Amino acid sequence: MLPRVFASEGIPRSDVWQSSLCFLRGRRYLVEAASGAGKSSMCAYIYGSRSDYEGSLTFDDADVSKFSIDEWQSLRRRHIAYLPQELSLFPELTAMQNIELKNVLTGHVEPGRIEEWLHLLGIDSRKDYPVGKMSVGQQQRVGIIRALCQPFDFILLDEPVSHLDSRNNLIAARIIAEEADRQGAGIISTSVGNPLLLEDALTLKL
Amino acid sequence: MSLISKLLRKNTSPARIAGFVVSNFIGLAIIVGGLQFYEDAGSLWTSDDSFIKTDYLVVNKKVTSSNTWGDSDSEFSQEEIADLRKQPWVRDVGEFSSTDYRVWASVDQGGRGMSTMMFFESIPDKFVDGAGSDWGFAEGDKVVPVIISKDYLALYNFGFAGSAGLPQMSEGVMGGIPLRLSLTSFDGTRSIEMQGRVAGFSNRLNTILVPGSFMDWSNKCLGSGKDGNAPSRLIIDVSSPGDVAIKDYLAAHSLEVAGDKTGSSASYLLKIVVGIVLSVGMVITLLSFFILLLSMSLLMEKNRDKLHSLLMLGYPLRKVAAPYMGIVVCASVAAWLFAVVCCVILRSSYLHSLEELGAAAGSLWMVPGVGLVLALLLMTFNIIAVWRKVKASWR
Repeated sequence: MLPRVFASEGIPRSDVWQSSLCFLRGRRYLVEAASGAGKSSMCAYIYGSRSDYEGSLTFDDADVSKFSIDEWQSLRRRHIAYLPQELSLFPELTAMQNIELKNVLTGHVEPGRIEEWLHLLGIDSRKDYPVGKMSVGQQQRVGIIRALCQPFDFILLDEPVSHLDSRNNLIAARIIAEEADRQGAGIISTSVGNPLLLEDALTLKL
Repeated sequence: MSLISKLLRKNTSPARIAGFVVSNFIGLAIIVGGLQFYEDAGSLWTSDDSFIKTDYLVVNKKVTSSNTWGDSDSEFSQEEIADLRKQPWVRDVGEFSSTDYRVWASVDQGGRGMSTMMFFESIPDKFVDGAGSDWGFAEGDKVVPVIISKDYLALYNFGFAGSAGLPQMSEGVMGGIPLRLSLTSFDGTRSIEMQGRVAGFSNRLNTILVPGSFMDWSNKCLGSGKDGNAPSRLIIDVSSPGDVAIKDYLAAHSLEVAGDKTGSSASYLLKIVVGIVLSVGMVITLLSFFILLLSMSLLMEKNRDKLHSLLMLGYPLRKVAAPYMGIVVCASVAAWLFAVVCCVILRSSYLHSLEELGAAAGSLWMVPGVGLVLALLLMTFNIIAVWRKVKASWR
């Protein structure tokens, strides 16, 4: 697979582009790259929000280019959790409302558990603040909790801890790993130098 | 309101939606009001006869001094009938047939008898409308129904009854009086006694009408046996009674329309006026449709990021489209309801004067139904537009 913009340029050796790669459930992957190497593109391709690539992408042998909008939407509710780099939170809603927007849709997580995560990540006092007034680091933590509010086979995190200190990074990594392990799911997390502190992760160079 | 509606309806401009509701209301009210008025007022020209539809014209040749004594000039030849049939506005032509024997009719009224010589005519039964199931005759029946010209009743009531010291009779009373009919062949050798029953009165048939089946049977029994005369009157089923081509043709061939109360040109005018009013209403309705289309489009464009983010969260398209469709449906239904209420108020203001003029009020349900169909149609187009826009925000 290769993003079309790279087709004419020719890129340095990569573990992902211009090669065949298979992500497995239950495994953890850290994708590291310099800025502009196509991390967000890769996530968007896997999540179905972009398709400007050459090559093919399959989920369990099913070619994603054949998927209908409804199939993608159902995948996004049940099989792939995604935290985009830009977070896509609704600034006018509070942290809690942002999280509930997803949890109402999937009904996956009990309210007590959400409270617990908010507490562990140190933003429980801010849950009724509009997200627009929070720092980027706080917003990232809200985004991580929201991404966990659904069943998934893979969780896709695009620079999830770029604005977190190492303590919160560790807590986030632990929560994410716990949730993934509970469901037997895989984790794919990207970074430009501040990776999610996962244990036993396979590092891929983009 | 759910969280998602709250999110997606942000930036909604009440002024623009109100603009749509008002303009859509005006457009629909003009259409619904215009149609309703046509429905109500149309009866002024169309409902004056329950037996003969307005689409039927009874025509005869003008009687001039030259054909008073000659017996052929006032009759229609087969060529003339064939020519008439060829006209584009003619759907069907029926011939009047008349009796080939003498008719005496007598009435017993409180001991005072009255009798008169009479005649019968008939037209094919398919042209007689609304006389009910008892219009018809089968061999062996003792009673024959007749339809009498209203003018005859007026002549009797206002001309004859007064001067002869007889009581005036309403249509109802007249209908209940049995007529004794005595039918005799011209040579006097055969005769039949029958009873007649007045089945109704007609404005537009200047004749005494009996069922076609009775005419055939009685002529067979009593007639002189020679072939029937050519008809002197025809009944024509026309496609559009107000058509100028009909007038021109009738004038060119010196034909007269019986019972013509110049209603046809007035109803033609009414049609044109209503047509103009309806086109204005249609234009306004169409413009209002575009107002809603553009304001929904603008609103969704402003909220495009949110739409996209919700779809990225995995929300189904229909859930994301629902708040916008809700606006479309509510605004359309509100405009239609206002239009119907306005139409009902308008109607109550003119209905009284129309009824004084003698119009029978038309139905109130058909016309708002037409408005509803129109409103639903435009609503559907707007919903499709919303749906396409949501789909376009997916990637």
